[in-house]
Amino acid sequence: MAGIRAENIRKIFGTYEALKSVSLEVADREFTVLLGPSGCGKTTLLRIIAGLETQTSGEIRIGDRNVSGLPPRRRGIAMVFQNYAVFPHLTVFENVAFGLRMKRATADEIDRKVRRAAAMMHIEQLLERYPSQLSGGQRQRVAVARALAVEPEVLLMDEPLSNLDALLRMEMRAELKGLLQETRTTTIYVTHDQVEAMSLADRIAVMHGGRIVQYDRPIRVYQDPATAFCGGFIGSPPMNFIRTQPVEGGGYRIGGAAFPGPAAPAGEILFGIRPEDLIVEPESGPGLIDAEVGVVEPLGPHLLLTVRIDGQPARVTAAPDLDIRVGETIHLRPGPGRIRWFDPATDQAIREPA
Amino acid sequence: MPKERLLAYLLLAPSVLFLLVFFAWPFAEAFIVALQVRGEWSLGNFATMARDINFAPALRNTMLLILVIVPLQVMLALSMAMLLTRIRRQRDLVLYIWTIPLGISDLAAGIVWLALLSEQGYINTVLDALGLIEGPTLWLSYERPVALFVAVVAAELWRATAIVLVILVAGVQLIPREYGEAAEVFGAGAWQRFRRITLPLLKPSLQSALILRTILALEVFAVVVAISGRDLTVLMGEAYFWQNDYRDAGVASAYAVLILGISIACTLFFLRALRVREETEMR
Amino acid sequence: MTIQRWLILAAVLVLCLWVLLPIYLIVVSAFGPRDAVFAWPKSFWPVDFTTETVAFFFGAQGVLSGLLNSILVALMTMVMAIALGAPAGYALARFAFPGKNVYRLLVLMTRAFPIPVLAVPLTVRFIEFGLYDTLLGVALVHTALALPFAVLITSSLFLGIPRELEEAAWTLGCTRLQAFRRVVMPLAMPGLAATAIFAFIVSWNEVFAATILSLENRTLTAFLISVLGESPLYFKFAGGFFLIVPALVFIFAIRKYLFSLWGIASR
Repeated sequence: MAGIRAENIRKIFGTYEALKSVSLEVADREFTVLLGPSGCGKTTLLRIIAGLETQTSGEIRIGDRNVSGLPPRRRGIAMVFQNYAVFPHLTVFENVAFGLRMKRATADEIDRKVRRAAAMMHIEQLLERYPSQLSGGQRQRVAVARALAVEPEVLLMDEPLSNLDALLRMEMRAELKGLLQETRTTTIYVTHDQVEAMSLADRIAVMHGGRIVQYDRPIRVYQDPATAFCGGFIGSPPMNFIRTQPVEGGGYRIGGAAFPGPAAPAGEILFGIRPEDLIVEPESGPGLIDAEVGVVEPLGPHLLLTVRIDGQPARVTAAPDLDIRVGETIHLRPGPGRIRWFDPATDQAIREPA
Repeated sequence: MPKERLLAYLLLAPSVLFLLVFFAWPFAEAFIVALQVRGEWSLGNFATMARDINFAPALRNTMLLILVIVPLQVMLALSMAMLLTRIRRQRDLVLYIWTIPLGISDLAAGIVWLALLSEQGYINTVLDALGLIEGPTLWLSYERPVALFVAVVAAELWRATAIVLVILVAGVQLIPREYGEAAEVFGAGAWQRFRRITLPLLKPSLQSALILRTILALEVFAVVVAISGRDLTVLMGEAYFWQNDYRDAGVASAYAVLILGISIACTLFFLRALRVREETEMR
Repeated sequence: MTIQRWLILAAVLVLCLWVLLPIYLIVVSAFGPRDAVFAWPKSFWPVDFTTETVAFFFGAQGVLSGLLNSILVALMTMVMAIALGAPAGYALARFAFPGKNVYRLLVLMTRAFPIPVLAVPLTVRFIEFGLYDTLLGVALVHTALALPFAVLITSSLFLGIPRELEEAAWTLGCTRLQAFRRVVMPLAMPGLAATAIFAFIVSWNEVFAATILSLENRTLTAFLISVLGESPLYFKFAGGFFLIVPALVFIFAIRKYLFSLWGIASR
């Protein structure tokens, strides 16, 4: 087992800078998720750590070794690929045994380790089959078993669940979580699915435009996004942002309600709040935001309301039994301690002076 | 990544060297040999070539063959490709049968058609039964140049339509079914769909097919020799006779240069005439 | 069934006959008695099945050695075309490097030329280097003919094998070479075999260069065309039949790959 350290990794493809001096430290036995939209550099970073791509500058350390110039086979890693990359000409057994055979393990050891990895992924009954006889979910299991069989110091996973259908993905997610809690292998997991990230990660590294913009525990990333981008990318529906200017005498007015807040950097500020942190109140009152209802979507567990606050769009989740009509004005109470402020120019969160 | 780049060049090097030695160099050599008579630079070989009584007919026949065979073949292959889209059962079998000639050499094709067209051959038997001729008739002789020409055309059509067919069928498969269906929804009939959807989208494939077929038609040689001996002359045949029978590499190379020149001209012509605009490319 | 469907069916059948009937008739000719070629009117059914003509054909001087030479030249062509073409195809499929498009253009360009005609200038040098009238000399020109196809075909073949499979092998402890041997090769094998057969047919069928570059050591095609003028008809027909047989077998063997082979090769 080993931790991973990436130091000032830059990657330039031709004239395009895919990674802009990224540093990342993953502790031993930690599960880190690289989360971001496509093109943010998360897969590039993972492939550099794997040794499949060479960084333009910077250093990769796994455990106490500098592995920067080493080929993948000497890095003590195993990887699970987005398209599984299960070898179609080998049986499931031979697929799982592949890495062990490359290490010249004895026949006994191979048999034992393959059966153990297969048991962990519940594919014991498939060992003699060829990949073409397997479903997508089963192939995924083979790919994970193949990676676990070599007992790597570090496990790298590149969007491993993205090709599965929604139901299967949820099932595999839970299973992976249980499994990795058991094996405690240091893991870096790339995904663009924020639910997956929230569910699996010890820590999430949110990537955007070739940078890591926040690296923290999931709940912190959710509740205290470091940038407006993080708040908008994580959460469904995403965090609401209302652009506003300070009023005379300090503070801000949002939808008719006055709120204290930090100083606006360039005369403007973003007021941010999550949809579920706006509580619909029956009567107007002080401190309540007035919002005009545009669309009402009954989703079952809650109502999703699309409203306008000071002419700007926002989303609110409300109890499913509330009788809310389009065109009506509702009154929203922000949950205590849930308001966040951002600088519209730099995207950065502005902390209120405590 | 410099290491990968080095590997790439190492992998390419053998084929590049080979093509330089056995393609680029003889290409240049053809000009050198053609332009030298006994070690002196001269147009003598070309003059000899042009004065030869077989030159004019060879040039004429080659061009005529291209003009007749290529359009016929493309039309036939296009019809076959369209027929293939209309049959459901046994499509693979039909396709296999239609592509059998891919593996048949021009020499073999010539011999096959010789068997069909010989004096006491199968085609005469049929013509006789139909009352069109009386008894065995000699078609393949120098006295019947038109018959010789038609026989060569038939043999080439039989042998080499398959290659055009394969290119076109591959092209048709690239066209998404939805385009035709969309056109149908908007009221286009079968012919209109062919004219307005299939044909324009098939242009890249048609271009490939035309270039390839024209080059192959320029190479026509063994078919002609098998069917007519030297009674029907073609450029490639003359290059062969000058090299093989007269042992005159200079004049043979002059023919080679002429054939290369015509092939370049044809390729350029088709590239221009059927220019494919980037935005209509489907890939 | 509508009239239209009947018409389509009829057209398809006619075109099948158009391809198959001549082949059938050459078979009938090759397995008929020798004097059957002068029989009138011709019978479309095999009469007096006999191997007499075929036996005469193989007994003729030059036929057996020609057959052997054809096979040897085709095998050499096959080996050289794959050995030179497959690495290049792999490089085209896997690497990005300056000059890639120039190379691709060079390869594509060769298609715009009747390569056999290059045998004419080559004879002069081949005599100098002692390659004239050798099987290797003919095989070299045939390789020039088949190589561009081999490069393009194998390149698309390797492109069809996901890069991730190779990367997975690397992460599981393989060197580049090991990953190629254990993962890429087995997957590419059927396609490579088809490519090899393609190269074999290209060589087997080639007449012009084979004739120009040889005198005594002739391939079957070169031998046949040089004696065609003096041969009796039944000899020619038997020859035609034996030229076609391997073609039929090979086309059948690689029918699954026909499109990737000829389709790509002609793009």
